[in-house]
Amino acid sequence: MTVAGEEIDYSRMNPAETALVIGGGVAGMQAALDIADQNFQVILVEKTPSIGGVMAMLDKTFPTLDCSACILTPRLSEVSRHPNIKLLTYSRVTEISGEAGNFRVKVLKKARKVIEDKCSGCGECVPHCPIQVKNEFDQNLGYRKAIYIGFPQNTPLVYTIDTDNCIKCELCVKSCEREAIDLTMEDKELEIPVGAIVISTGYELFDVSKYKRLGYGRYKNVINALEYERLINASGPTSGNLMRLSDGKIPESIGFIQCVGARDVQNDVPYCSRVCCMYGIKNAVMAKELQHESVKDVTVYYADIRAYGKGFEEFYQMAKKRFGVKFIRGRVGEVVEDPKTKDITVFAENTVTSEFLKNKHELVVLCPGILPPKDLKELAGEVGLDIGVDGFIAIQHPASNPVDTNIPGVFVAGCAESPKDIPDSVAAGSAAAMRASITLAKGGAL
Amino acid sequence: MTIEEEPRVGVFICHCGHNIAGAVDCEDVAKAAADYPNVKFSTDFMFMCSDSGQALIREKIQELDLNRVVVASCSPRMHEPTFRRVVEEAGLNRYCYDQVNLREHVSWCHALEPEKATVKAKDLVRMSVARAALLQPLEIKTVSIAPHALVIGGGISGLRAAVDIGSRGYKATLIEKESEFGGHLRFLSVMYPDNENADDVIKRLVDEAKSLENVTMLTNSEVVDLDGHIGNFEATIKNNKTGKTSREKVGAVIVATGFEPFEPVGYYGYGEHSDIITLAGFEKMRKKGPLRRSDGKSPKNLLFIGCVGSREEGVKGHEHCSRYCCTAMAKAAADIRDDCNEVVLLYNDMRTFGRGHEEIHREARSKHVVFSKFGDKKPKVKVENNEIVVRWRDVLSCSYMEYRPDMVVLTTAMVPPKTSEELGKLFGLTHSADGFYNEEHIKLAPLTTHTAGVMIAGCAQSAKDTTDSTTQASGAAVKAVSLMVRGSVEIESAVAAVDDTLCSSCHTCVTACPYGAIAMGTTSNPPRAFVTEAKCHGCGTCAAACPSKAITMQHSTDQQIKAMLEAFLEPSLMQESVK
Repeated sequence: MTVAGEEIDYSRMNPAETALVIGGGVAGMQAALDIADQNFQVILVEKTPSIGGVMAMLDKTFPTLDCSACILTPRLSEVSRHPNIKLLTYSRVTEISGEAGNFRVKVLKKARKVIEDKCSGCGECVPHCPIQVKNEFDQNLGYRKAIYIGFPQNTPLVYTIDTDNCIKCELCVKSCEREAIDLTMEDKELEIPVGAIVISTGYELFDVSKYKRLGYGRYKNVINALEYERLINASGPTSGNLMRLSDGKIPESIGFIQCVGARDVQNDVPYCSRVCCMYGIKNAVMAKELQHESVKDVTVYYADIRAYGKGFEEFYQMAKKRFGVKFIRGRVGEVVEDPKTKDITVFAENTVTSEFLKNKHELVVLCPGILPPKDLKELAGEVGLDIGVDGFIAIQHPASNPVDTNIPGVFVAGCAESPKDIPDSVAAGSAAAMRASITLAKGGAL
Repeated sequence: MTIEEEPRVGVFICHCGHNIAGAVDCEDVAKAAADYPNVKFSTDFMFMCSDSGQALIREKIQELDLNRVVVASCSPRMHEPTFRRVVEEAGLNRYCYDQVNLREHVSWCHALEPEKATVKAKDLVRMSVARAALLQPLEIKTVSIAPHALVIGGGISGLRAAVDIGSRGYKATLIEKESEFGGHLRFLSVMYPDNENADDVIKRLVDEAKSLENVTMLTNSEVVDLDGHIGNFEATIKNNKTGKTSREKVGAVIVATGFEPFEPVGYYGYGEHSDIITLAGFEKMRKKGPLRRSDGKSPKNLLFIGCVGSREEGVKGHEHCSRYCCTAMAKAAADIRDDCNEVVLLYNDMRTFGRGHEEIHREARSKHVVFSKFGDKKPKVKVENNEIVVRWRDVLSCSYMEYRPDMVVLTTAMVPPKTSEELGKLFGLTHSADGFYNEEHIKLAPLTTHTAGVMIAGCAQSAKDTTDSTTQASGAAVKAVSLMVRGSVEIESAVAAVDDTLCSSCHTCVTACPYGAIAMGTTSNPPRAFVTEAKCHGCGTCAAACPSKAITMQHSTDQQIKAMLEAFLEPSLMQESVK
């Protein structure tokens, strides 16, 4: 927690007692908390303006349909209030040198043009800002101002000015009673000595427009799963009202297409993304749950349903029996839009019945696989980290040491290692914290 | 530490996005609450748990001198700690806070009846306001944490956890009931995903554990009793070989008791033909040497069947997916393929989801292992004239198949060990429907349990493979270490309290308490009941059972409950309390 007015001299952190966690998603937050709870200091670096990662964007979570924000928010405030955690949001690691027990890390703290200690997050500035741009947090479906927070639980609750879009009209500056806005603020480079590092940089979604035949980007009513999450989310752009993008109509029939950018050798994603079956089923259930009267048909097109985790198989059965979600085993060949109604026809083979299907849906949701983040390679190159053929961080002994990388003192948690769901990411975050704290306690030895 | 001044209650109604506001008219509830007795402030807000929501509570406490706070939002399970902290930050005692559950108890279950839901929400808030006026501050207490962890189960998870705790500089005692460490890995040959010898994996961790001075490793031992509470458990450990018992005082416990491979009696001719074996049997044989049929010859036509005892809807304890088996089966099939004429693999869905697993699946297919999906209808295995005949419907080709393998390998489920229920009782652990132990929270707290100070890891929590088990083990270890580093932990103050002057020494409460938290004291004559506060869960059973009314359930006193009932039944009688 940063106390107002108190300037932290990061260069004087004691590496024997300080760990760096890169990435503030659910795995990184867990790692930070579990290290900080041992009275070590943690520098948590997050590149976006808020911690929370992708989980913060999700609506409900499988298999209990717990609301994502509801369970994540306490975690966000726990991190931001922890006396041993220093949050560096809107920042990225640019350089790492040294070795276990004594790394030197350079962090670029981007100028958010709002003074963190002064901003109370009241939002008075927002109506004064004349610039409206698409909100990345809402998958560009909603809008935000040039001075913004991505979502209500943005942590820290500090506004950010998006320099690319700001026209420097200074209306926000005048509106801010606390004088928290400083348009002259510049990027800052920090150099921080740390003893151990946890990499929890998460993942990116596969760009589903690569499958031309699935129509994403060409047809408005073909969306990806994260867009769907925002559409059904109460704090999303439609206030949680599921509607199609072409005409705002509640779709009566929805098709979910699984394994888009997963288990596909030709598209260089030979691996299974581990979470898509379950989030697909969860989203299918949510369509029925939310718009129970309007949504008449929900169909999932799949290859294998991988409901492997605790309570997953039971959830899958419930989706079929209680919610009447239809499951069709077969990869979709092509989708075609009706130019008049903008409905989408899905061509697929039901491989179980050997029928060729031509199903009409009013909305089609593509469920993309998970990719390593683009900048992971660059970061790995910094420290000489081994990367697997799949592009995720390699592990030396998967059976016995599942979070240890090839570099002593550097550990990995969550999807930076390979696709994982929330509980597996949380467990990996805790595991990386364990290993990192051993490095710290032993002064670099392991 | 009672509050003498008049109650000044603040009421905050949370929309929880759409979760509550979708069914309940939150604005209307907030308006109604403003008129309830003692309420000095009432409002509604999008997300009370967000930073701005929390700031609003603090601000109003200070601005209006509120001394009681009611938040009507979700289940207190997640956010009671959040809001207790918020009121504390504003200078109130955390027990001057009450939470109303408008989400699970109202909006989610009455989603189709918004008007009635709003009426119910008002009732609940009114009741809470009545209770809040009577809430009293309670003293915050702590217990110390002994710097010593007990790890139960010497499989891969237990080993990993003990090594981590020891390496971090804390004492760990690792207990294994068998004569060797390594658990089920001892029976495996090479493991996915990187073809490492299972023995090498065990050796690496056992050697490391042995090299650590502060790790004590006990074989042939079991925990037969556990007493105490977080920070101060006392475990009775029995050595089954010598029959001797010893006691160990520990601050934290990690339960890594693993699984049992399902014995598929009654499934697919198991037991009717000696060449119908389990994957565990297959692995045991492969570990010793080449795979052989019962007649000593090597099998030529091998058939694997997946999901044996897994994914069986309606069959208690077998509804779950066992998570490891698809990949293990694909690997076994790929590895044995070159030694056989034909290998057939029957599956329902191929769940090769982990890192490197899909590659194993692909390798098996590229080696021409024949994969056939049987779907919902399980295959039939018959023994005819000592020959194995397997019949099933291949759903992908829509055709009925028959195959006569000379060996069948059943890939069986992971199920909890038979002792798991008994052991669970010892640690106060509950089970999920699959029979494995329940975690504190299925998404965000998979390693801690509802018994403070007791962690779970590996297959004790649910079926899983080695990588996922050791990940959980290191994670559970850090939870134990954090407790030990801190040295003490706050405990709940909403616990039972005995009034010595009223206790009639009848022992009723001692038998009524489901947690063993009440005992008869030894310092007075006749003995009076006393409560071990760190063990008390605040359930109130003792208070209800006590015939002398000597026990008060603090924070849920009779007076408070009566006030809630009155507020519900006769709102017109609700009055400003005058102290």
